[in-house]
Amino acid sequence: MSSTKTPTSGESRPRKLEQSNPDYDPNIVVEAQNLTKIYRDFWGRQKVRALRSLDLEIRKGEVFGLLGPNGSGKSTTIKLLLGLLFPSSGRALMFGKDATEVRKNERIGYLPEESYLYRFLTAEETLDFYGRLFDMPAKLRKERAAELIEKVGLTWAKRRQLREYSKGMVRRIGLAQALINDPDLILLDEPTSGLDPLGTREMKDMILELKAQGKTILMCSHLLADVQDVCDRIAILYQGELKELGRVDDLLKVGEETQVRFKGIPESAHAEIRQVIQKHGGEVLSLENPRTNLEDLFLSIVRESQQRPGHRSEGARKSG
Amino acid sequence: MVVENFENFFAWLPSALYVFGLLGVAGIVLGVFFGYLVAAFRHGPFEAFYVVAQVVGGFFPDVFGTSPRRVFAIAKLSVKEALRRKVVLVTFAVFAIALLFGGWFMNAGVDNPDRNYVNFVLWGTQLLILFMGMLISAFSLPDDIKNRTIYTVVTKPVRATEIVFGRILGFVGLGTVLLALMGLLSFLFVWRGLSHNHQLVGNQDLSAFSEIDPNTRQSLSGGRVSENAILEGRTNIASGHLHSVELIEDTRLPGAPEPENKENIVSSKVLPDGKTVYQRVIVNPASGHTHEVTLDKDSAGNVSRINLGPATGYFRARVPAYANSLVFFDSDGSPNQRGIDVGREWSYRGYVDGGNAIRPNSLAKAELVFDNITPDRFENPDLLILEMTLSVFRTYKGDIEKRVIGSLQFESVPADPNTEPVFRSEVSLFETEEYNVQTIPVPRKLTGKMINPDGTIQREGDFDLFKDFAKDGLHRLKMIIRCEDRNQYLGLARADVYFRATDDLYWWNFVKGYLGIWAQLLVVVSMGVALSTFLSAPVAVIGTIVLILVGFTTTFIRQLAQPDASGGGPIESFWRLITQKNMEVDLEPGLQRTLMEQADTLLVNLLNSLTYIAPDFRRMNFSSFLTYGYSVDSSRLGVALLISIGFCLGLTILGYFCLKTREIAK
Repeated sequence: MSSTKTPTSGESRPRKLEQSNPDYDPNIVVEAQNLTKIYRDFWGRQKVRALRSLDLEIRKGEVFGLLGPNGSGKSTTIKLLLGLLFPSSGRALMFGKDATEVRKNERIGYLPEESYLYRFLTAEETLDFYGRLFDMPAKLRKERAAELIEKVGLTWAKRRQLREYSKGMVRRIGLAQALINDPDLILLDEPTSGLDPLGTREMKDMILELKAQGKTILMCSHLLADVQDVCDRIAILYQGELKELGRVDDLLKVGEETQVRFKGIPESAHAEIRQVIQKHGGEVLSLENPRTNLEDLFLSIVRESQQRPGHRSEGARKSG
Repeated sequence: MVVENFENFFAWLPSALYVFGLLGVAGIVLGVFFGYLVAAFRHGPFEAFYVVAQVVGGFFPDVFGTSPRRVFAIAKLSVKEALRRKVVLVTFAVFAIALLFGGWFMNAGVDNPDRNYVNFVLWGTQLLILFMGMLISAFSLPDDIKNRTIYTVVTKPVRATEIVFGRILGFVGLGTVLLALMGLLSFLFVWRGLSHNHQLVGNQDLSAFSEIDPNTRQSLSGGRVSENAILEGRTNIASGHLHSVELIEDTRLPGAPEPENKENIVSSKVLPDGKTVYQRVIVNPASGHTHEVTLDKDSAGNVSRINLGPATGYFRARVPAYANSLVFFDSDGSPNQRGIDVGREWSYRGYVDGGNAIRPNSLAKAELVFDNITPDRFENPDLLILEMTLSVFRTYKGDIEKRVIGSLQFESVPADPNTEPVFRSEVSLFETEEYNVQTIPVPRKLTGKMINPDGTIQREGDFDLFKDFAKDGLHRLKMIIRCEDRNQYLGLARADVYFRATDDLYWWNFVKGYLGIWAQLLVVVSMGVALSTFLSAPVAVIGTIVLILVGFTTTFIRQLAQPDASGGGPIESFWRLITQKNMEVDLEPGLQRTLMEQADTLLVNLLNSLTYIAPDFRRMNFSSFLTYGYSVDSSRLGVALLISIGFCLGLTILGYFCLKTREIAK
């Protein structure tokens, strides 16, 4: 990822933003305090309680995942944090500032659930437009757009209108627009939705790369495997309520079981191993060759096919 | 041409700023009040104070944080979006098709066909461009919200001011380009539609001309000819009309300048008394234009061919030097602002009477006072052109062929009438030409008297119009118009009588006419964008249409809301209707009447206030100026532009607050 700093993500404006709130802790990037959203009809009658008293803190440099089934309040939370919705009660703070404050957006990148982009623009025009919205000078916009288009692998299609793009391509350019200002905080709403396994892997790699650069990432998804792969901490929402919050490793750790993986021992040693476990009072739940997951198999086949076009891949033969 | 309001930019500006300020204060009060109500409904009465203060307090930082780059980015995007919608293309195509086939329905043979042409293109352009502006502006933001593309915009550091103003700028920019193209096409259409050539009937030389009956001074076909005509011919019919062509004798006094156009002089000779007689071929005007004549001559100096050039006189931008004031005097000589009411419903013109059998010497007159009558304003200061469109009201038919006679007199307006003499010209009579613009040449040298303050005559003779009559600081000149036919009336309004100053450039006047349409476009687009910040697209379109209708009928609504309207306001009128009391009957005093009057006052004031939600579109519409060939004065243009910019500003602020307080993702 580029380390180019845009003027908007520079030091002066954010510092002003931070200085304006004396309680601001620079290590807390996102904060929800008793955040509640109730949708009402025209007459003010309650229709849906989309979010109930959410308390949340996201720290600098972490990848945070919001999990939950459809309608659990994930997207509502993100929209409240972005100021696209106003809270019914409670507060949403970004960099210590109220979510409705426009200047906070200078340090934010947002990839919506579906890439809501102007389909009549080309990739270059799209990034140029969003660059202008960050008040970036022309030279910087051009450099940054070229860099990001290359990064998301769309150089070959940069002059095509987005209406001609596949869903995956639109998603990529959507990510590029979210990164145009080199943001400190990136909000990703269902980042892997609509992507093929290759695209999903690339998206996850990119999230990890951004994390390595010190960016804070807030993503929401209902694809649990994706969240598990990249998130440091997660919050699980259900029907607008926070049900679980913590580090992924801690939450997924099964304390009662032990997993041992060996390499290079013969099949005959299995019985001996079982005996040792039973001797110590343990119970063998499974002893077998590990299986790769479908995602890894698919990726290895694709990569091999790219390297050796026209040949059937080794991976496919093994599995077949 | 009817002119009901004479704009004076600098006189208008203070009152306009006052009204604009009042509107601003009213808008702020109402906005804060409704904002508080909504916030109290959402958050409770106490937190509502904080919410309102936060929104209002954010206005100035947002305005000062507005970035031109972001505004232009949104403007550019709006242009692309509007082009993609194809509304612009369809508008242009409809206009082009209308022009292609419009020519079939234009009759060039009528009087002043240029009026039909110009009127057609101006109304067509105005209608289409305003309709297009309304559609693209009202649909843009709601579509962005519906498609959620706005999510990726408002999550950038973009102020609501930038979104609203950027969209207005983009749509107006696009409309400007379209308007310029339509203007250019219109100009070509009018020019091409009116250009035509004639040829003489018969030989193309003087042998095609016929004698004039010396007794009747009529042509052999019985038509009227000029006083000084000696031969007469006619052209073929082209564009539905023909012209009579005359050989005239133009006699000039010794020392007088030669005719400006020498191309049409057949011969000239000097008479024994020193006068010079030029024999010239002229084409008499028809259908509001004439043609230049050039003569080919052989080596002996005889005319071998008469050539008629292209039409001239269509493309005019007359600059009228209107009177600053018009005062009527009735038959007793007492001043009267409105003149005599002859019973016509349209009270635009006032009338002066020509006396009657009982009082043959009526003192009725109309006095017009002109300011700034200086030589530099006129193309030919030696011979001013006075143009008049007088109305005649006859109390008896008489000889219908005989025109009603009026008279003109000029007078100086001394700064101090007690010490300075007054110059008064002799009375000159004229025949009124009803329904036409009548042209009367006024020579610089006026014969008259110089009268002392005590009424004695200091000197008689010729005086200079500029140096003697209009000499004081304001260069003021008084003109007196009387009706000289008994029992007949002459009617006039302030705009009916004017001196014709040097013409404006026609193309520039055309541009000014289109600037008027541009001002209307700016207001319509601002309305569309502002309403679309809180309404759905179809509702925003309906809202914009309502505002446009209010704008076009502002004058009518304000007249309706006049406190002195006969029959009272709506409730009293309804009461009279159901109780069958006519408008003049006084209602019985009492509680009922008081209640009705109070309610009417409230309703009428409300109605009057409502007219301020939209600008008076008629003040931005210069169609009649271009149609009738008058220049749009800079005051009028300045007023129109400032009104439109003021409304654009107000609507931008309204749009800002609506967008800022709107939950985009709801």
